[in-house]
Amino acid sequence: MDTVIEHDPLDTPAHAPAGTPAATPIAIAAIASAALAACGGGGSDPSSPGAGAGGGTPAAPTAAEASRFLAQASMGASRANIARVQAIGYSAWIDEQIATASSQMRWDALVAGGYADVSFKNSEGGFDASAWRKLLSSPDTLRQRVTLALSELMVTSIDSLVGGGWKAFAAANYLDVLEANAFGNYRTLMQQVSTNTAMGMYLTFRASHKANLATGSLPDENYARELMQLFTIGLVQLNLDGTPVLTAGVPTYTYSLTDITGLARVFTGWDFDVGGTSPAASPDFLRRPMIQYPANHELGATTVLGTTIPANTDGVMALKLALDAIFAHANVGPFVSKQLIQRLVTSNPSPAYVGRVATVFNNDGSGVKGNLSAVLKAILLDADARSGAVAAGASAGKLREPMLRFTGWARAWNASSPSNAWAIGDTSSSSTRLGQSPLRSPSVFNFFRPGYVPPNSAIATAGLVAPEFQINNESTVVGAVNYLQRAVSGAGVGDVAVDYASLLAFGDDAVALVAEINLVLAANQLSAATATTISTAVATITAGTDPNRLKRIYAALTLTMAAPEFTVLK
Amino acid sequence: MTINASRRAFLQRASALSLAGSAAPWAINLAAMGEAAAAGTPADYKALVCVFLYGGNDYGNTLVPYDTANYNLYQGMRPTLAYSQAALAPTVLVPSVALAGGRQYAIAPELAPLLPLFTANKMGVMLNVGTLIRPTSKADYAAGISLPPKLFSHNDQQSVWQSQAPEGAASGWGGRMGDLFVAGNGNATFTCVNVSGNAVFLSGNTAVQYQVSTTGPVAFSGIAAPLFGSAACSSALQSLVTAPRTHLFEAEYTRVAKRSIDAGSVLTTALLGAPAITTPFPAGNALADQLKFVARMISTATTTSTKRQVFFVSIGGFDTHDGLAAIHPGLLTTVSTAMSAFYQATVELGVANQVTTFTASDFGRTLTADDGSDHGWGSMHFMLGGAVNGGRFYGTAPVVANGGPDDVGQGRLLPSTGVDQYAATLGKWFGISDTDLLTVLPNLANYNVTQRNLGFV
Repeated sequence: MDTVIEHDPLDTPAHAPAGTPAATPIAIAAIASAALAACGGGGSDPSSPGAGAGGGTPAAPTAAEASRFLAQASMGASRANIARVQAIGYSAWIDEQIATASSQMRWDALVAGGYADVSFKNSEGGFDASAWRKLLSSPDTLRQRVTLALSELMVTSIDSLVGGGWKAFAAANYLDVLEANAFGNYRTLMQQVSTNTAMGMYLTFRASHKANLATGSLPDENYARELMQLFTIGLVQLNLDGTPVLTAGVPTYTYSLTDITGLARVFTGWDFDVGGTSPAASPDFLRRPMIQYPANHELGATTVLGTTIPANTDGVMALKLALDAIFAHANVGPFVSKQLIQRLVTSNPSPAYVGRVATVFNNDGSGVKGNLSAVLKAILLDADARSGAVAAGASAGKLREPMLRFTGWARAWNASSPSNAWAIGDTSSSSTRLGQSPLRSPSVFNFFRPGYVPPNSAIATAGLVAPEFQINNESTVVGAVNYLQRAVSGAGVGDVAVDYASLLAFGDDAVALVAEINLVLAANQLSAATATTISTAVATITAGTDPNRLKRIYAALTLTMAAPEFTVLK
Repeated sequence: MTINASRRAFLQRASALSLAGSAAPWAINLAAMGEAAAAGTPADYKALVCVFLYGGNDYGNTLVPYDTANYNLYQGMRPTLAYSQAALAPTVLVPSVALAGGRQYAIAPELAPLLPLFTANKMGVMLNVGTLIRPTSKADYAAGISLPPKLFSHNDQQSVWQSQAPEGAASGWGGRMGDLFVAGNGNATFTCVNVSGNAVFLSGNTAVQYQVSTTGPVAFSGIAAPLFGSAACSSALQSLVTAPRTHLFEAEYTRVAKRSIDAGSVLTTALLGAPAITTPFPAGNALADQLKFVARMISTATTTSTKRQVFFVSIGGFDTHDGLAAIHPGLLTTVSTAMSAFYQATVELGVANQVTTFTASDFGRTLTADDGSDHGWGSMHFMLGGAVNGGRFYGTAPVVANGGPDDVGQGRLLPSTGVDQYAATLGKWFGISDTDLLTVLPNLANYNVTQRNLGFV
């Protein structure tokens, strides 16, 4: 914490295309590797296979271990990815993924699809497809997984991107910005999100203006509040290990209403950079960061978390000072680290695990705070993430959110969309589809909260949280299985299809078929008894022809994805 | 057996009814429907229905000061958002008990569908109610004494409203009320019913929230029909999703799936025998869809041997920081048309006196505002039903001000009535003893005995 070097967010050219990472992936990968070598890999267990730096030549992961790793670190395992992880080990696989270039960005896909035509100005057309294409098929599968996780931490939602038209472009660009920073620095991400047009619309600080002396009305507090509560520090002071700081048993708040009204003054004067183009004719203004309109900016002195921003500081500098003050707060490391662990690995990480990752967040080994590449390695290579003993615990892991159950199937057998239409659409319906859909959270509080406790459950009695259970109820538990049953047989997903050739080879041997699905899709976490239940039932379907073998495959996939041993990733 | 016997009797009546109905004029048919309702809902049945307005409803443009002095203060604090006094004239509330100091309020013009219900004494208005630990003064607020946790934060204040504790709470007061009636219901699952998403409000210590969609229970397609042609696979599916598990998360997943299957089967059958509801509900109105399903469930109470039910429905979008003038009126129209239709449906079912509906929300908002308003605290709410002592205001009308005696700045109201008092009044009507109310509502003991029942129902 002593000699933290921050990336200067203002180094990034203001009008850089959103798809351009601030640094090249190769350079970031090199920094990450050096960081891990320097700090010992964030507490990873040298004896666990492929755990990376420090342990000599690690044993190659088994196929099941590789599949489980990929269930945490990717949009879903496949035979090819499993083999790759086994060949080069976990750490090198992460490096390879970080070095993998982004595929076509969502914005560019929309333009290529003709959606920049003015006839689409008042439409969301093209957005869902642009998001699903990436999640289901982009080769940079770790980057997609992190992008999805970030979209559930710094939340916007397409339906509420009101004020500029071209919602599909605003939403696509928001995901593109998250993706561009997925392996970058959290401080840079804070800067880019805080000037992003989608966020400006979603949390309503676009066009917020200084206090109105006539009415006594103060600047809009919406973004100021959620930036601190949800995106960076949370409501109560945290220890490095993510547990609350207690004074006489009582937590201490991180900020007061005064900090909110103070920070709200910083988020005045920001609005679209319409440049020379008409917003009615082109969505381009949405891709550019918002800019300052000084006449609307509050110039009085203001105080945020104890840092005073002097009077007459211009809006751009005021934002830098405010974000610096927030980023310097000791909560950022544990707050962000714990939520990323929850999205990737487990709902209830041990305080020690959170502490190890937060330590890397605070200093990647080369004095940099907020290096997400290093943080991701610390999360995924940690002994608590890799240990089979930890995974065997009675409350280990997390409920796979429905989107990840679906992408797991699609990725396992290389989904494609021959027409490139990726016509999955909006999967939000809780009774007939997945009950969630990319960038379609009902509120800034995401589909589920990191601290959600299913009331009146054994989970609650044990004092644990289970975020994804917030969208698990008597309707969604059925709706998701019904949706997956249709999807695996090609219904309701447009021309999106997977390649079942490798499974057809097992079509006459139900036991082998279920074993293959168990390994690739379920990380071998179906017990022998469950595998037998499924294979015995599937074997009652007459095989012998490909149409019949396909029925066996559809049934085995549906049963696997309905099974609790799959829905809960240990 | 009891359930089956009463269901058979009911189906016979319903069948006779439909024969009569086909030849009868509309009015006579309606009267006949009243008889069906008597069959559908036990005479000693009662339901509480919570209508939660997610996001924090803007109280200033919901219940608007109308007397000239206070209207002018309101208009001065939000000139770009204020309704004109002329626009409010048709929806001025004329209470049976006048407010002190000549205070008058109008409901927003978009709430006009609720005006006849106020006039007919079926709807009451709760002034400045919000989350409190105990009666709280401005000095207490300034000193930070006994304040509810995490004020002004959406998720936490939603939770405090519903459960008296911030996010992560184990139970809510709707669920704790349900706890007391689970044993008296034939099917415990139908005690606490959520037609929206998951909400801590309906989780009790024993009562478990049952979530159901507006179209009724959702069945596993692969169980309802052979899975890819295989009955054996359907059996496997049922077995996999319902078997008890030792892993805590897996156990919770199968527990919910099993409840879905078991309750879904009972409810689907009960709904087949329920009377058709002829009251028109507004189309394209998600809240109306939920409330219509609540009405349908109430109509099956005899079939399912249910005596007490707590329902939760909700609508989002109330976090009007921006574009309030464009957004808020539409939301109020959605709420008023849905609640009005629901009340009429309870009349049709003959249960108007047995169903009490009330609104709740994260918090109120600031009164000072230009384009939108910010997070506040106390707010105005509505209680609706045949048992409500309507046509009047309850609580104290707050001084309209920015930094006045009743607000903590910007017109963020310091509540003069606590959620526990509001809830206790509803609970007393529901049939909960004074002693049990102290358990259901942990802050209630902090109020003087004479202030624990507000008397609005």
